Amino acid sequence: MNLRFKRLISQVFFFFLTNLGFKLGDVFPGLKTGFCYPFFYCHACPAATSACPLRAIEIGVYRGNWNWRFILYPLIIIGFVGVVTGRAVCGWACPIGFLQRITGKVPQKLKKKYPSLKKLGQHRIEPYLRYIKYIVFIGLVVVTPILIGFMFTDVCPVGYLVGTIPISILNPGGFTPNEFFYIAMGVFILFLVLIFTVERGWCRYFCPIGAMLAPFNKISIYHVSVNKDECVHCNACLKVCPMGIDVPNMERDPECILCGKCVEACPKDVVSYERSL
Amino acid sequence: MKKIAAVQLTLIILIAGVGGGMLLYTGVYDDIHDTIVSTLCLSCIKLDPVSRLDFVFETANGEDHSEFVLENLTKGPLFIEYRSDVCAACDIMAPIIKEIFHLSFEKEDTLYELVNYNGTDVHFYHINLDHASKIQKDSFSIYDKDNRKGVPMFVVITVKYNRGVIDPCYTAAYGTLGLDTEEERRNMVTDMIEDGIKLYEQNHEGYKYD
Repeated sequence: MNLRFKRLISQVFFFFLTNLGFKLGDVFPGLKTGFCYPFFYCHACPAATSACPLRAIEIGVYRGNWNWRFILYPLIIIGFVGVVTGRAVCGWACPIGFLQRITGKVPQKLKKKYPSLKKLGQHRIEPYLRYIKYIVFIGLVVVTPILIGFMFTDVCPVGYLVGTIPISILNPGGFTPNEFFYIAMGVFILFLVLIFTVERGWCRYFCPIGAMLAPFNKISIYHVSVNKDECVHCNACLKVCPMGIDVPNMERDPECILCGKCVEACPKDVVSYERSL
Repeated sequence: MKKIAAVQLTLIILIAGVGGGMLLYTGVYDDIHDTIVSTLCLSCIKLDPVSRLDFVFETANGEDHSEFVLENLTKGPLFIEYRSDVCAACDIMAPIIKEIFHLSFEKEDTLYELVNYNGTDVHFYHINLDHASKIQKDSFSIYDKDNRKGVPMFVVITVKYNRGVIDPCYTAAYGTLGLDTEEERRNMVTDMIEDGIKLYEQNHEGYKYD
């Protein structure tokens, strides 16, 4: 079984595991747990089993309330996953990552059709755009909830996708838009444009959970390693990397989602998964 | 390499210790379950529930009315405001409720007052689900009429004629009531209370609490 297929099975498995909260009459009551997801998903989804870690942190810091348990708990869960696998959850488990795997074919085709889009991803400012996700995390998940009570979840596009849309369909006429609805709708449209034009655009530039997990790539037990002495710089790995990483020169890159595309693409087998404990 | 392994081991031991300790010795699992997973987050869905102010007899989850409700109904209708610590819509609605009942309290407080509303005694409850007793928390599911599972929820419980007997009945409104202005929201809450009082005045003599 090749790596691509194994990853597909893993993503489908985690998609169902994430959505076990769906009630099926008397047959299945729906599983609701007290855990936080270690990836990006919204508990407002009628089928969600666990809590969004961002919401837990927001509640923990909201207007300076400092509920330390709500701050520490999601950090512990993400920390554990991060130390063991780094950002592998983005590539192997996250449902939004799975969605971008599906939409990722579009930017690939667009790049072939419009070479200018290819240049966009290679622009010299592109690496700096990746810092936006850290600003989103610190700014909208921590600072604004403390100072003004405005939270990332108020405009979260994933909440719109898996919460607002299904709830509106399941309860026709039961809800009306609140003051953030149209702003969130705009953010959601931009989210769609992004994931259809840049491969893994959300993970690269905006995902606050990605921002929390990224530093763990530096010390994670599992990581992707390149044998630089034997690398012939054919750039086959670079071409397939969905995160746009300079794979031949990477050293525990914070952006790597351990998808393994580079491992499969390398003709010399010098890119491999490694376990360091 | 050894340095990284040492960091990994230290972090794993630290995380496992703190995480295990939190799960075993604090109520964080239940808090996350009750506060986030089982409650509909109106901020996350960017929607406000539409409130239909019809009084119904059937409790939302099929369980009996709470004891404190049945007992208080002998003296007047009840108004219950449910909220949680972190809830933007609760913060918007709180001043309106305080103004209507001429009360002053903090959001963390769980409060009961017998209030005189235009000459009628109304039992006022302010229940913060993050700090309330189990009986009060359980009452939330009993009166979540439209199964919204979201806060704020405002409930008026009164009595009404029901096929030969006088039974408790209630209505519930949610969020910012699906209305845009403070005045509209105030009017809707007062309408809700006044409807409850009217039904109570018409029917309370036939109500019996065993």
